[in-house]
Amino acid sequence: MTGDTSNGRFAAGLGRLPGSAETAALRATALEAFSATGFPTRRNEQWRYTDLGPISKADLDFAPQLPAEGLIARVAAMLDESGFDSAAPRLVFVDGGYCETLSQTGDAAGLNIASLASCGAADVPARAHAALDGHPLATLNSALVSDGAVIAVDDGAEAPEPIELIFVAGGQSDLAAHPRIMIDLGQGAELTLVQHALDLEPASGWFNVVTEIVQAPGSNLTLYRLQDHGKLRFHTALVRAELAEDAKLACGWFDLGGRLVRNDFDIRLAGSGAEADLYGIFLASSGQHTDNHIRMDHVAPRTISSEAFRGIIGDRGHGVFNGKVVVHRDAQHIDARQSSDNLLLADNAEIDTKPELEIYADDVKCSHGATIGEIDEDQLFYLRARGLEEDEARNLLTFAFANTVLERVELPALRERIADRVAAHLADSGVAGEHP
Amino acid sequence: MLTIENLHVSVDEREILKGLDLSVNAGEVHAIMGPNGSGKSTLAQVLAGKDNYDVTQGRVLYRGEELLEMEPEERARQGVFLAFQYPTEIPGVNNAYLLKAAVNAQREANGEPQVDAFEFMRLIRSKMELMNISKEFLNRSVNEGFSGGEKKRNEILQMLVLEPSLAILDETDSGLDVDALKIVAAGVNSLRSKGRAMVLVTHYERLLELIVPDHVHVLSDGRIVKSGDRELARELDARGYDWVQQEAARA
Repeated sequence: MTGDTSNGRFAAGLGRLPGSAETAALRATALEAFSATGFPTRRNEQWRYTDLGPISKADLDFAPQLPAEGLIARVAAMLDESGFDSAAPRLVFVDGGYCETLSQTGDAAGLNIASLASCGAADVPARAHAALDGHPLATLNSALVSDGAVIAVDDGAEAPEPIELIFVAGGQSDLAAHPRIMIDLGQGAELTLVQHALDLEPASGWFNVVTEIVQAPGSNLTLYRLQDHGKLRFHTALVRAELAEDAKLACGWFDLGGRLVRNDFDIRLAGSGAEADLYGIFLASSGQHTDNHIRMDHVAPRTISSEAFRGIIGDRGHGVFNGKVVVHRDAQHIDARQSSDNLLLADNAEIDTKPELEIYADDVKCSHGATIGEIDEDQLFYLRARGLEEDEARNLLTFAFANTVLERVELPALRERIADRVAAHLADSGVAGEHP
Repeated sequence: MLTIENLHVSVDEREILKGLDLSVNAGEVHAIMGPNGSGKSTLAQVLAGKDNYDVTQGRVLYRGEELLEMEPEERARQGVFLAFQYPTEIPGVNNAYLLKAAVNAQREANGEPQVDAFEFMRLIRSKMELMNISKEFLNRSVNEGFSGGEKKRNEILQMLVLEPSLAILDETDSGLDVDALKIVAAGVNSLRSKGRAMVLVTHYERLLELIVPDHVHVLSDGRIVKSGDRELARELDARGYDWVQQEAARA
């Protein structure tokens, strides 16, 4: 795919996107930046294990910004049936467009939630449309974003309950959506955010989301993401965060569906005492490809980071973990851990795992490890010696592998939802049974 | 209950058990003692059905059936229980889940209905008290981060809940302090009954002061070389194993 072709293809859509003249100029600049390189190829080291060919070659259209009423009603019914709480603070998007009727933002003090489009050009930071160095897909998002969420928590304020961002693909084939999520936490502010990505019914298409996070000193953000698309959809995501002194960020990332999934994390621990904790589970089978790609910059001293991802790879599945920790000069007393543990359920399952360290300071504690394995024979024997059938024991141990990560989800309803969906997906891979 | 005839077992083509004979009747407690490397743990593992052990000769009858023909889970469902020397840690599976799954496996085999939550709690409460195990324990992952003593008490708890016909305890006393040893022994003793047989595999005599065996056997170089009663265990404690091995060599 060359830059010129994609430029021509995407430029045609620019005129249909919202925003002032200034915004349009920013979009055009971002699109030029994207077009200069085009879709990254596997020759690019950052994209060595993931081929974006299926996305760059797909004939994708932008979604209409406002979904039709009939579609909204079907989405509403699906969300109710799937146990989503319609009374909880939430923003619902269908094919990237904001659905006000399915959303409510609540009125908690110090908590400001709005859809990006409703903010108006004046209130949307220019950075929503800025090119992002080194992230071509995010830069494309900057050019093509039509809507998203803006969430700001004032100094010292605490969101009283988790906020849900629900992105639903409406079932029409070959739509692309480029949502933007912007999160600003004031000093000591606290927020828990749950992002859901799912399909009304399985259809091809592309979901390319960018989440930008700015955390003031002492703020605390917990971010969960459950990606449960059908197995036809492409999903790419960038989470970019900048943490000031003593700010804490926890990301629980769960990728169950999607055909081609790529998550990029770009985290800067800019203030001393800042702490980032990324963990997740990804399942890949039946030709699914899921790539978790992390760059963790320890810029300031006494910063802490942890990355712990677990992959369960089944028949013809391909998983990737590529985490890089960079400890900058003079960033002393660093504690950085990386782990990538993978369970292969089939002979043709594939995993590439590459934890990396780049250290320019001398007083640091860094560890990294990767495991790739099958079910542990001793654990299997122990369960069988207690009377469990071999298949039952194998399935239980597969759930258990995911469960140790799931136990970290602090919202019981969400944990249960993810566990149920993990069980359902594993059942598709021939791993039947209840989750423990 | 259990009849072992001329059992030969190899691991990686090295013969560990070299013609072992043993007969255990219902209601009896047998202790199998012996120096390190004599084959004690191999015997326990083979009886429970661990693979990687090649049975080259002999047979094992459990209640008249060929034990070695059964899958490990089938043995468990038929009432054979192995208390592991090194209980396996299973992160992500909690104790309550495993206990319930084990009880239900057995019930399924007996054509009984599955246990419900209340019945299950009733079933395990007094047994947990006996083993000095707290309620929080049920939500912890199986053996994960347990101390040596906790792991062994957990094994005995499982045994109490499953009420096996044949219990094989593999070095259950190793790594226990005196208090933990007393708790474990109380658990085991509470299960002694006319219909049940137990085989205690142990290195030390101290367990046998608390769980008094009916028969004591010395396993040496893959064979039982001497049998007696609890006095034999005391003698072994006082004199070591050399004299038995020399006696066996002369015979």
